[in-house]
Amino acid sequence: MPSQTEIFQKVSATLVDALNVEPDEITPASTLQGDLKAESIDFLDIVFRLEREFGIKIPRNELFPESIFQGDPEFVQNGKVTQKGLDELRQKMPFADLSKFEKNPEVSAISDLFTVDMITKYIAGKLNGAPAR
Amino acid sequence: MRLKDQVAIVTGGSRGIGRGIVKAFAAEGAKVAIIYKGSQQAAESLVGEVTQAGGIAKAHQCDVADHDAAEKVVEAVEADWGPINILVNNAGVIRDGLFVGMRPEEWNVVIQTNLGGAFNFCHAVAMKLARQRKGRIINISSVAADRTNPGQTNYSASKGAINSFTRALAVELAGRGVTVNAIAPGFIETEMTEAVRNKAGDMIKKMIPMKRLGQADDIAKVAVFLASADAGYITGQVLTVDGGLSLGAVAM
Repeated sequence: MPSQTEIFQKVSATLVDALNVEPDEITPASTLQGDLKAESIDFLDIVFRLEREFGIKIPRNELFPESIFQGDPEFVQNGKVTQKGLDELRQKMPFADLSKFEKNPEVSAISDLFTVDMITKYIAGKLNGAPAR
Repeated sequence: MRLKDQVAIVTGGSRGIGRGIVKAFAAEGAKVAIIYKGSQQAAESLVGEVTQAGGIAKAHQCDVADHDAAEKVVEAVEADWGPINILVNNAGVIRDGLFVGMRPEEWNVVIQTNLGGAFNFCHAVAMKLARQRKGRIINISSVAADRTNPGQTNYSASKGAINSFTRALAVELAGRGVTVNAIAPGFIETEMTEAVRNKAGDMIKKMIPMKRLGQADDIAKVAVFLASADAGYITGQVLTVDGGLSLGAVAM
């Protein structure tokens, strides 16, 4: 079982290849879309590469869930994620750090949850055999 | 040489327009994989022709409508020559007949080959090209996508879909430096158009402002351009190459 640091290093190397970024641009807190400029096709590419790199299967919509709320008014009101929506997020992305997001849960800021650290935690959970959710 | 050392796949490459594209690509320095379904002899004679002219080509048998077979053939080409740079989806069939009498098989084979074949080969190479951050996909459409004749509901539908598919895929791959374009040929002198030409050749010529039918080479030259570095900023376009046919002018 590799350490968290080892996993981060491998994730980081994967992102360097997938996103054409320099290694020193990547920190645990880097957001994939905002900081590393990932586009939708890149998310698929990252999943393929992580699967190969770590020898794991990543079911579609598990690491990077798409359209989590599907416009459901129970989850989103006035551009903000509701308490129920936050619970849904927690359940769908247990490996994401919601502490900052909770304070101002703008729907448009959901993409900031997709960080390098989130991927590292997800992979660590997978390698541990822990259910991802 | 505009395509020096580029690895290219041309489906339906043994005959007609595809054959012209294979020869033109090889002459520009590309290594060309010729995908053929049934015309083994034509494919092999083409390999011989290209080799004699100092080029590099290899024939691969594959039904483009078969998704797994398309993946396998792409792997085989990569094993020979390394990463793919250019894909030309040219394989196409016609099963002309008035719609009311069209059998489902005649509809299906045209859609599965002309449109499904493009899906299968694009599917097999798209992620690879995206990862390389460069690549060229060229789909061979037809003026029949927009200007159709009776008896071609299946063919027109397949080519109209190719045009839409070209634009939609172009949008997805543009950020990764992969261009996706289509060429819409008019009447080209190939085996595919032979029956129509025999029936209405003189009339067709009158409809073409340039007063001649196209040759495979007329299309191949445009394919070379789209595959070359010169066309790096063109994507999602359908280039009509038809001697003015689609302008709809009436002969004077």
